[in-house]
Order: sequence, then C-alpha cells, then structure tokens
Amino acid sequence: MTVENRGWHVRFLKLWLPLGVSLIFALFPFYWMAITSLKTNQELYSRKLTPLYVHNPTLKHYIDLFTETSFLEWTWNTFVVAVISTAISLIFGAMLAYPLARIRFAGAALVSFAIAATYLVPQPLLFVPLADLINKLNLNDTLTSVILTYPTLLIPFCAWLLMGYFRTVPQELEDAARIDGASRLQTLIKVVLPLCGPGFISAGIFAFTLAQNEFLYALIFLTKTEVRTVPVGAIAELVKGDVFYWGQLMAAALLGSVPVAIIYSFFVEHYVAGLTAGSVKG
Amino acid sequence: MTAIVAPADTTRRRPAFSLARWLERPGVFSWMMVGPPIIFLGMLVGYPFFYGIWLSLLNRPVAAEGKFIGLDNYIADWHDPAFWQVVINTFVYTIVATILKMVFGLGLALVMNQDFRFKNLTRALLLLPFIVPTVLSTIAWQWILDPAFSVINWTLVTLHLIAPPGPSWLGNPDLAMGSLIIVNVWRGLPFYAITLLAGLQTISPDLYEAATIDGAGTWTKFRYITLPLMKPVIFIVTMFSVIFTFADFQLIYVLTRGGPANSTQVFATYAFDVAMNGGQFGQGAAIALTMVPALALMIAAMAIYLRPSKS
Amino acid sequence: MAGVSRQSRRDLLKVGALGAAASLAGPSIVRAAPKAMTMMHESSFIPPYDAFFKNKLAVAYEKATGIKINYEVVSVGSLLTRVTTTAENGSGPDMSTVGFNWAYLFDEKLIDVSDIAAEIGKEGGGWYDNAQEAVVVNGKWKAIPYANIGQLMNWRTDWFKEAGYEKFPDTWDELLEAGIKLKKNGHPFGFELGHGFGDNHGWLYPLLWSYGGREVEADGKTIVIDSDETARAIDYCRRLYKETMVEDCLGWTDVSNNKAFLSEQISCTNNAESILWLAKKDFPEMAKVIDQSQNPTGPKGRFHFLNVQAHAIFSHTPDKQAAKDFLRWLMKPENLGPWYDVAVTYYQPFLHKYDDAPMWNVDKRNIPYRDAVASAHLPGWPAPLSRAQVEVIAKFVVIDMFAQACAGKSTKDAIAEAKQKLTAIYKA
Repeated sequence: MTVENRGWHVRFLKLWLPLGVSLIFALFPFYWMAITSLKTNQELYSRKLTPLYVHNPTLKHYIDLFTETSFLEWTWNTFVVAVISTAISLIFGAMLAYPLARIRFAGAALVSFAIAATYLVPQPLLFVPLADLINKLNLNDTLTSVILTYPTLLIPFCAWLLMGYFRTVPQELEDAARIDGASRLQTLIKVVLPLCGPGFISAGIFAFTLAQNEFLYALIFLTKTEVRTVPVGAIAELVKGDVFYWGQLMAAALLGSVPVAIIYSFFVEHYVAGLTAGSVKG
Repeated sequence: MTAIVAPADTTRRRPAFSLARWLERPGVFSWMMVGPPIIFLGMLVGYPFFYGIWLSLLNRPVAAEGKFIGLDNYIADWHDPAFWQVVINTFVYTIVATILKMVFGLGLALVMNQDFRFKNLTRALLLLPFIVPTVLSTIAWQWILDPAFSVINWTLVTLHLIAPPGPSWLGNPDLAMGSLIIVNVWRGLPFYAITLLAGLQTISPDLYEAATIDGAGTWTKFRYITLPLMKPVIFIVTMFSVIFTFADFQLIYVLTRGGPANSTQVFATYAFDVAMNGGQFGQGAAIALTMVPALALMIAAMAIYLRPSKS
Repeated sequence: MAGVSRQSRRDLLKVGALGAAASLAGPSIVRAAPKAMTMMHESSFIPPYDAFFKNKLAVAYEKATGIKINYEVVSVGSLLTRVTTTAENGSGPDMSTVGFNWAYLFDEKLIDVSDIAAEIGKEGGGWYDNAQEAVVVNGKWKAIPYANIGQLMNWRTDWFKEAGYEKFPDTWDELLEAGIKLKKNGHPFGFELGHGFGDNHGWLYPLLWSYGGREVEADGKTIVIDSDETARAIDYCRRLYKETMVEDCLGWTDVSNNKAFLSEQISCTNNAESILWLAKKDFPEMAKVIDQSQNPTGPKGRFHFLNVQAHAIFSHTPDKQAAKDFLRWLMKPENLGPWYDVAVTYYQPFLHKYDDAPMWNVDKRNIPYRDAVASAHLPGWPAPLSRAQVEVIAKFVVIDMFAQACAGKSTKDAIAEAKQKLTAIYKA
C-alpha cells in the first residue's frame, strides 16, 4: 500500500503536475481566444461578468468572418504558399545538407558559413531591396512573390536539421550501394533519403509553420485581398482604425491554427518515434 | 567511405572522359548539389544583405537620393541614449527568454519522454502556441495582460490578496519586459520541447540500464548520460532560439511597440521605427546591422560545429 | 437621407458634364485614358465609408468615364509600410491616402496638385489654413487634404456629474481637479502615454503647446525644449498620470483606450470619434452618457492635434492627368458630401463649405470636432515640416519625455534626455 502510494506520488510529481502546468500555460491563451470568439461585444467588454467563461455564446463572429471577409480564400492561399515554399526549402535544404554531411570537397567551409550567415540578414529592414527585386521580376501581388522569398528564411534551418539526420545514416549502407554500382545521386535517393523521413517531417513542420505565420513579406508583397494570407488578411481587414474586431480576429486565429495542430498530431508520432528508430545506432 | 572511394577514382588510369564519372567526383557532385540553393540564396539574401550594408553608409531618406556619409550613422547611434537602451533591452530579452526556454524546454521534454496516455494528442496540443500566427495570438495576449481582464489579477483580486486593478503588466516599465519575455517563451517553448524530446528518444535505454546497475542515481544519469548526448541538439535549438529572439519583431510590435518609455524597444522594432516611420533608411540599416557583431559570434560557433564531417 | 437622392441625381448630371468635358478637352486625354487606376486607403473605422467608395463612387466614375477605380484597403498600421514600398519602387497603386507628415516624407515621389487644390478650395468655400501645414511642401500642394480625424476628449457625463461636473473642465488644472475626484469615486482617467500612432500625440503635443512649450522655434533650427514652460507641462502631466489615471496607460497603444473606455475602466480619454461610434452600435446605454469636448486650455491657449488625411498621386502613375481628374471629381461637393455623410463627421472636412453641413446636426456631441480643426497643428509646430521633425516623432522623443517623467524620472533629467536626442537629430 505504501509503496503503491509512493509510486502514485512520484508519478504525479514527475509527470502529471509538470505536464498539467505546461498544458495550462500553453493552452490558456487558446481557451481565451475560444471564449472571446464566442462572446458578444457587450459581454466581451463587460467587467461585471466573470471573464472566464461565456455567458451568452454567439456564432456571430464566425459568421461575419466567413461572410464579410475572404477568410476561406486567405486560408487556401496560406496553404498553397506554405506547402510550396516548404517543398522548395526541403529540396534545397537537402541539396545543401547532403554534401556537407557526407563529402569532403573544396569550399565546404565557405558553403556552411554562407548558410549560417543567411540568418544575419535582418529581415525587418531588407524588405525594401527585396520589394524592389520582386517588383523587377514583375511578381507583385502574386503568391509566387512569397513562395520565392519564404525559403530564404527556411532553407538554413532545414539544411542544418537534415545534416544531422544524414549523419545518422550508417556509412556502410552507402558504401554497399556504391560498390554495387549506384551513382552518388542514386545512393542519395534510394538509400539515404528513405531513412531520413523523420528528418524531413521535423524540418517540414518547422518550415510549414513559419511559412504560414510570416507577416512582413506577406504584408508588403500581397496587397490585393484575393492573394492575401491569413495573418495579413486578418490584420488588414479586422483592425479598423484604433478598433480591433476582437471576436473575428480570435475566430481567425483559432481556425487558422487548430486544424494544423490536428494534422500535426499524426506527424508528431513519426517525428519523435521515427527519429528513435533511425538513430538508435548512433 | 568517401575518403576511400575518392582516391580510388583518381589513382585509376585515366580512361576516356566520361560525363557520368566526372559527375561522380566529390567536388563536382557536391557543387552540383549545393550550387542551385546557393545561387538562390545569393540572389534573395546576399543581394539585399550587401545592399543593406551599403545603405547604412548613406544618408538615405525615404523616396529621395542617398548621399555617402561613411560611418556617420553608426556614430550617431553611439551618441543616441535610446540606442543604448535598445542594446540592453535586446540582450535582456534574448538571454532571459532563451534560458527560460532551454531550461523549461528540457524539463518538459523529460516529462514527455515518459509513457502516458494521450501522448500524441498532448504533444500536438503543446505545439499549438508555435502554430498559431503570432500576430493573432499576440492580440489574445493583449487581453490576458490587461489588468482589468487578466486572470492573474482577477484571481488575486477575487482572493483579496491585492487591491484592484493589480499589477500593470505592460504599463509598468519594470514589468513590461518580463511580460514580453513570458509571451515569447509561451510561443517558443513548444518547438524547443518537441525537438529536445526527439533528441531524448535517440538515447539508448541500454545506457541508462547499465548506469542503474552501476548504482547511478537520477541526477548522475542526467548529468553524465543525458546532457552529453543531448548537447548537439540543445546546441542547434538554442542557436535558433537566440537568432529568432534577437530579431523578434511581431510580438513586441503588437503588444507595446517599444513602450512604455522605450523600456521594451529592441533592435528590430527600433530599426523599423527609424527606417519606416522616420523615413531614415540609412540610419535604420545601421541600427539593424549593429545586431550583426553579436550574432556573428554565435554564427561562428555554429559554423565550427557544423563544419563538414571528417568521416 | 432625403438629400442623397437629390444629390445623386445632381451627381449624374455633373458626371455627364464631366464626361463631355473630358472628351472635348482633346484627344490626348481620350487616347491616353487608362483602363483602371488604384486608390489605396486605410481600412476605415467606419465600414460603410469604404463600402460607399467601392460601391457608389467608383461605380459612378466608371460609368461616367470608363475608368475603373480599384479601392485597395490596408490596415492603419500598415499603410505607411505600403506607401513606402510603393514610392521606393515606383510601382503599385496610383493614388493613396497620406497622413501626418507623409506628404513631406514622400515629396519627391508625389506630383504637384496645387492647381486642383486651388479649384477645390474655391469651390469648397476656402481651405482651413492649417491644412496646408501637412500637405504644402516648398510652396506646392503635394496632396489634397480631405479630412481631419480629430483627437478630442471623450468623457462619461454620468460619472462627471456624480463628481459635481455638469460640463467638461475648461482648463487643464480643472481637469486635474476633476480627475482626482473621479478617481476617488473609482472612475480614473486613461490617456495613452505609450508608443501608439495617434492617441499619445493627440493630447501630449497640445498639452505641451498650451503651456507654451515647444521643441524647436519656427526657424526649424533653434532647439527650445529646455524651458520652464516644458517643465511645467511635464510636472502637470506627471500629476495627471499619478493622481487621476490607471497605471496601465504607460504601456498603451491606440486600441487600449478604446477597450478601457468601453469596458468602463476609465471615465475620460483623448481619442477620435470611434468610441462614441462603437458605443452607439454595441452599447446604446453607455452611448447616452458619453460626451466629447475640446481639449482643455492652458496658460498659452487651447490646442489640438492635426491628423490630416489627404489624397496624393504617386509620380509613377502613367497618366497623371487622369489621376488628377479623378481627385478633382472626387472632391466635388456632390461626391464628397455624401461620402462625408456616411461617416457622420468621423472625417472632418478642411473646407469651410461644410462648416454647417447637415451632418453636424446628426449628433451635436460631434460639433467640438469641427470647432477643434482650426486650432490643430502637426507635431513639431511651429517649426515647418522637416526630416528631423519626422525622425523626432518616429523615435517618440517628446512622448517618451513625458512618459519617463510619469515613470519616475525627474523633470530635469527627462528634458535633458529629450534635448540630447533633439540636438543629435537636428544636427544630422
């Protein structure tokens, strides 16, 4: 009895307590968004009512979001932009990572330095020359403009992460393939890549998330409402003068993130568990 | 092993030129691979970067011709009391937020590394703060940090522990930075924890078992097995956190825009204010570029760590 | 509303006349007439205002001239970023709303519209003089000011009455007195002292001026911030903050005071008409006990904040004349009048013709906004617009001088730091 009791205590202290506290910390703002999106304006601003739950729930903000703004269009744009720029980043990231992880070649140090230096570029300022470039390429108000610029923020991280994964692939496997006559490219595609699925998933999650959240480039390059992404569309059309349309903004925040979280929940397992399988040897 | 394969290629008697074989040479293959992404990055990052450096040497008002003035912009920063406040703020923000994320991220990863029900669901839920668009989640925080609506104030006041309205999270210059750091940690912690969790799972249970047999306690195991093996992952995630926190913009811009009285003004917001609202591109570039030396040190460390493997 | 149909009929006639004039004016216009032009605007606080442009004005203009006018909406905070990129790259919208000191900032990329400004002024009963402070650069009109979004005192009549005030205090000192009483009753004030874009300037500059303080002399060179007048304004501000306000004001941005007022946290703030407008829509009971008044007066008079909204034409526009023609058309009373009407005085005209427009009768509580226009100035007044001035605002030099004093710095040190910053900026 005492032993069991102690086990329960330990489990509570080591697992449920910290986990519970973290969950509350992580999710409370979402709870807040959810109740804000369901409150009438009268209730939202009321300090007499307890702010912790909804007294008279309403779907008005959600209906307004769908009828008065182009929210669905923004969501689709965001999705397209995030998927393509993630794909570009993963491909380019892998192209950088593989040689750096596996091959000694002249200029390797320079390349890895260049990748690192990419992050030195202070984004908030350099949108001016970038805007100029986008303009010269005649890409204003096209999704292509952000599809091209987002990978600049994503490639370095993807490359670094994938490098780590490429290193976990046993060298003997590659050697065997090469002895069997496979070219370097074939070895990479047929032997190395299949073993690095989890690496691509984790880099992909990172890239996709940053791409769908990006604000500054989207603000500058996408000005027509039909090409906007969710963050920019919501801020542009739900912030009016010095008044925020709180309910609709929070509805947009929830609809823009919860579905993604659900999709991620399938990948998280692969991401974490797969990684274990891939590198137990290391 | 590349090291074995490569010499084999070169010592062989030179046959007639073969494109396929030429492509197999390590240098050629490598550059064929890294070439396209490097060109891509050079165009979209390299060009603006050097343009930015050039800008910082100009007196370049918006929508007007620039004039070369050497290092005057940097000298002006040096004499600007607000600039030094910005430097201190940025470092405080970055260092405190990163340490908190590192400590709590590792703690959370250790907690989640246990076996429990709804593991995947929990992990996905914990990722939510990282997924939601920052501009929108920050707007929710604006309510949570409003003394009249904050749960913290509400709880304390309801329990009669403090007099209403209670602490002013964003209005008190001493608290404002702390509040922003908390929001930053909230947003950054999930990615930290999940990535570290992935790292934790690569550690073979055999190692722990062996250590247990040798009589090692929990702390000893953590200190001598977990930490050393996790070092590479911790290193990478920390570097990223530092870079992103150092250049953070959205969160601060939405919550305080650098107020009250500049107590939360950081490099990115100050550079933006000067360049955009002030129309001084040259000076804005100079402010943004002063971030570089501090970051460069970390980048150098990273480059050393990530240098090509010596098989 | 009866006026609308009458006006729209007149509108059609006028449009017809204009179309005829355009075709008569010669082949150059007809040949070069673009198919479409784009006007960029901030996302209006009053949604019908944007809708009116899109659904009525743009449609009428297209019908009359065949030129489609696109209306691109950007949030207030993002408008400057968009205008900057547009001006820098010479591509994007043809026309835009510019505010504040932007006509000066983008001077070289905006075309001279002095000629149509003169015509519009003549037709509209003359311009308010101070409109020129914001749009006339080196003697040339760089934009057509179509409205001021005034920043005035918004207050709760019920709570003021409770404290013994039937009318809004006339002087800053009386305001302080009233605020102390109201705070005791649990109804503090809340004026933005943080880094917002308007509500902080909206009262801090007028406060400084009404005590006789200023940053720079009218010559635009001599720095005079270090004066007894400034010190008195700062001392007053510190007392007002400590004795009447909620602590949170120091960190506020422009949304904060709207939120605080509507959630009944504060009894008085300085804001545009948006509070009363939203209250009427969502809080009708509260709307009955809200009133709006001019800023209090100080030893050196009564001042307000000039928040000009003006239309400018970018120099990259292919057909400058077509853009001018459109602005000219837009500013005609039969088009502009109904547009003002939808927003019921949220946008206060700079043309004297509208001083007695029917919209002022919709709610007499809005009249102070009209009366405040003449005493409104841009930050930096009385010095003319300059790059240095723009930088002073962007760096919140004056705002932070007050905020630092409220946060505990001595008046002397706060002024000294402001002076140091001003000297550095003006020297550059």
